[in-house]
Amino acid sequence: MSDVIEALSREAEVAEFHRKFVKDGSVPAFQSINAAGIARFEELGFPHAKHEMYTFVNTHELANTRFQLTQGQADAAFVDANTYPACQKARLVFVDGQYDPALSETSGLPQGVSLVALPEALEKEPGLKSCIEKGIAEENDVFASLNAAFVNAGLLIDFAENTVLETPLLILHIGTASKEPVVHHPRLLLRLGRTAEAKVIHKYVGEGGGYCVNAVQDVLLEDGAGLTLARVQADPADAWHLEKLRVFQKRDSRFTALCGSGGCRMARVHYEIHLQGEGAETNLSNASVLTENDQSHHFVRIHHEVPHTTSHQLFKNVIGGKGRSSVDGTVIVNEGAQLTSSEQLINNLMLSDTAHADNKPNLMIFADDVKCTHGATVGQIDKDQLFYLKTRGLEESLATELLTTSFVESLIREIPFPEVVEDLENLLLGKLEVKRD
Amino acid sequence: MTEPAKSSSVEDVLEDRGKYKYGFKTMIESETFPKGLNEDVIRAISAKKKEPEFMLDFRLKAYRKWLTMKEPKWPNVHYPPVDFQDISYYSAPKPKEKLESMDEVDPELLRTFEKLGIPLDEQKKLANVAVDAVFDSVSVATTHKQKLMEVGIIFCPISEAVQEYPELVEEYLGTVVPVGDNFYAALNSAVFTDGSFVYIPPDTISPMELSTYFRINTEETGQFERTLIVCAENSYVSYLEGCTAPQFDTNQLHAAVVELVTLENAEIKYSTVQNWYAGDPETGKGGIYNFVTKRGKCQGNNSKISWTQVETGSAITWKYPSCILQGDNTQGEFYSVALTNGLMQADTGTKMIHIGENTKSSIISKGISADKSSNSYRGLVKVGPKAKNARNYTQCDSMLVGDKCSAHTFPYIETANNSVQLEHEASTSKISEDQLFYFESRGISRENAIQAVINGFCKEVFKQLPMEFAVEAQKLLALKLEDSVG
Repeated sequence: MSDVIEALSREAEVAEFHRKFVKDGSVPAFQSINAAGIARFEELGFPHAKHEMYTFVNTHELANTRFQLTQGQADAAFVDANTYPACQKARLVFVDGQYDPALSETSGLPQGVSLVALPEALEKEPGLKSCIEKGIAEENDVFASLNAAFVNAGLLIDFAENTVLETPLLILHIGTASKEPVVHHPRLLLRLGRTAEAKVIHKYVGEGGGYCVNAVQDVLLEDGAGLTLARVQADPADAWHLEKLRVFQKRDSRFTALCGSGGCRMARVHYEIHLQGEGAETNLSNASVLTENDQSHHFVRIHHEVPHTTSHQLFKNVIGGKGRSSVDGTVIVNEGAQLTSSEQLINNLMLSDTAHADNKPNLMIFADDVKCTHGATVGQIDKDQLFYLKTRGLEESLATELLTTSFVESLIREIPFPEVVEDLENLLLGKLEVKRD
Repeated sequence: MTEPAKSSSVEDVLEDRGKYKYGFKTMIESETFPKGLNEDVIRAISAKKKEPEFMLDFRLKAYRKWLTMKEPKWPNVHYPPVDFQDISYYSAPKPKEKLESMDEVDPELLRTFEKLGIPLDEQKKLANVAVDAVFDSVSVATTHKQKLMEVGIIFCPISEAVQEYPELVEEYLGTVVPVGDNFYAALNSAVFTDGSFVYIPPDTISPMELSTYFRINTEETGQFERTLIVCAENSYVSYLEGCTAPQFDTNQLHAAVVELVTLENAEIKYSTVQNWYAGDPETGKGGIYNFVTKRGKCQGNNSKISWTQVETGSAITWKYPSCILQGDNTQGEFYSVALTNGLMQADTGTKMIHIGENTKSSIISKGISADKSSNSYRGLVKVGPKAKNARNYTQCDSMLVGDKCSAHTFPYIETANNSVQLEHEASTSKISEDQLFYFESRGISRENAIQAVINGFCKEVFKQLPMEFAVEAQKLLALKLEDSVG
């Protein structure tokens, strides 16, 4: 790279890269979104070391990596291997951030479910377009603004009123192997009509590492709609995983996210949940198992905007090696949002001397008739429990493994899809297995 | 006392260290520097205090550092920017010749302290408490000095300590809160005028509680006091601090620094009841900006520092009494009740930095917000990689009284080794209607019932306070909440 470019700030470099991206032919329907995204990015800039939203996350390396936008081909066998048997007929495959209809299978989806390319959907519905544009203009996460700046394909998954999805829909994100660092910008919009019920599984995997997936998802839940989302983050250890999930919930809607994370070079998920209708309920849980240099960070903002809404959060992290985990969660109860009930619990199990666990469970409360609690613990395996197992003749290593795995297993077992439970057990608990001869 | 207020110019002070022109402000004759801050003002303060060279260097170093720093914006409080050039950095009751006994203290001043209930009069010996009273920026009287000297305890204004025990001051000043630690600490290091100095020699248990009472009297002055407490090996001291200020329409700045050092097996217990003027509850006009840096260092092994605070005043509070647990087996404690009402804003909490092995800390914080106030707890528990077997227990509860107030919790928990045990719990709620109903059904008025519930809510903290303070704190809470509930 020439000296002139080197002298530019990283922000200016990204802006320059964006001009080239637009010139090389971005999708016309996305032009206004791309423009709004880059404008927001330039306002926000990359986070400095003491940025409140990135207190525990070092983004220096990420911001200074020069990513390319290239497109690879996924192997059909790899896709099949990562498809859960129950989802054979309902899977959407994104390869390097782009929706791949050839690898996808939608015959199992009921009538009420429609898939529309995002540009088309936005053109048809000005209401949707203004909602997306507002989200970009008010974006507080710089990486999500970059998604908007570079997005060139996206999908609206629309569940019509009263649609009930019996078998789960699998959304598979695949990163292909690449020699140079590449970045993908998948963007999804999930909309559930009145009293629609859906089950969705998100799985992030890579054929090879070195990529950065920078995903944004908007979820709109109308009155009485219910979405159960399972997330499996299984990116290779040298990948970057950034994700922003924004949820808007109307009256009596339910949103449940049950996640398992194996971490990677840097995984960071940002949840922004708006409870906008009375009786809306959110459940969020995540189990992380981190070893070696894995990192997994969660940043949560739950806005209780109206009276009588509920939120539950549970995070369990097992951290070994030089792993780093952080949970920065804030529950905000707006003025007048009486009868809010909110719970947050973060449990960390530290396995090594070099592991790092940072927690910041915040509450911001502007109403008096509410019940909000949070708790956080950091600890090790209970010596009494270990002793008990040893008196029953278990080897120390086996007893330790048993206690460690049961710490996260209880959370994984909550997931209502047996295949996902099995997959996560292999993925996460496999990392904790003691090597025996 | 009708002569209009005049202030001595900085140049005058620098030129002539003996003669000053004194103006009268309120009822007390006082001497105030003109507003503004520059190196000359600092030199003038230092000259006025007849300080040794090292102190001037310390101040100038802090001032130069301060110039490069920015006012912190991260606290969850909102206020118009403070014009640091619109503050007078030195105000003192008119100095008489050296005070020999309490009789020579301005009777008006004595009456003020009497009104505040501070036993300055040694004859009365009401309570077995040694008091150092700080009026605006200057320490006016220290009681029980003789008795303390008998056991070797030094308890005197810090300006006196700088002259009489310069080696002790030089050894410890700025070791816990360095000159450039934060914006307000740097400002304080540059311009502090007085405060208390305590040195407890080895193997000494202080025979009485030590106490300082701070009062800001003059309008548009800042109070920058500095407290340094050093507790040598195997010693113990309990120290109380109380604060008040009269009612003014303008905001006054209070930027204090408190440094505590404990050597091996020593223990310091530091209690504060803060009731600065909080501004008009309706308009928010006036009140004290309380931007304070308090930090203790458990330097020696097996030492302990305990902070107890009852914060009921100030328009804005920004304060995090902290413990650096450096020695092995050291302990840090923080007990806090923070009450906000009217339009008060508080962002307060603690920092527990675990460095040594087997260190323990516990945090109990109770926040009560009423009316339209905002109350935040912000705390850090940090465990370093070498702090084996560190333990922390944190409990921060908030109570809301009224539907216009807000309560926030921002705990930071950072751990970097695997032998720690940390627990953090927090809850936010309002007073339960069931509890109130129970009281009322027994014929207890709603107001008394609320008081009883709130006292129960704060009990864990109050029981840490010395008895007289605990009674005062309970009354203070009741008084403050009088108009907010019922």
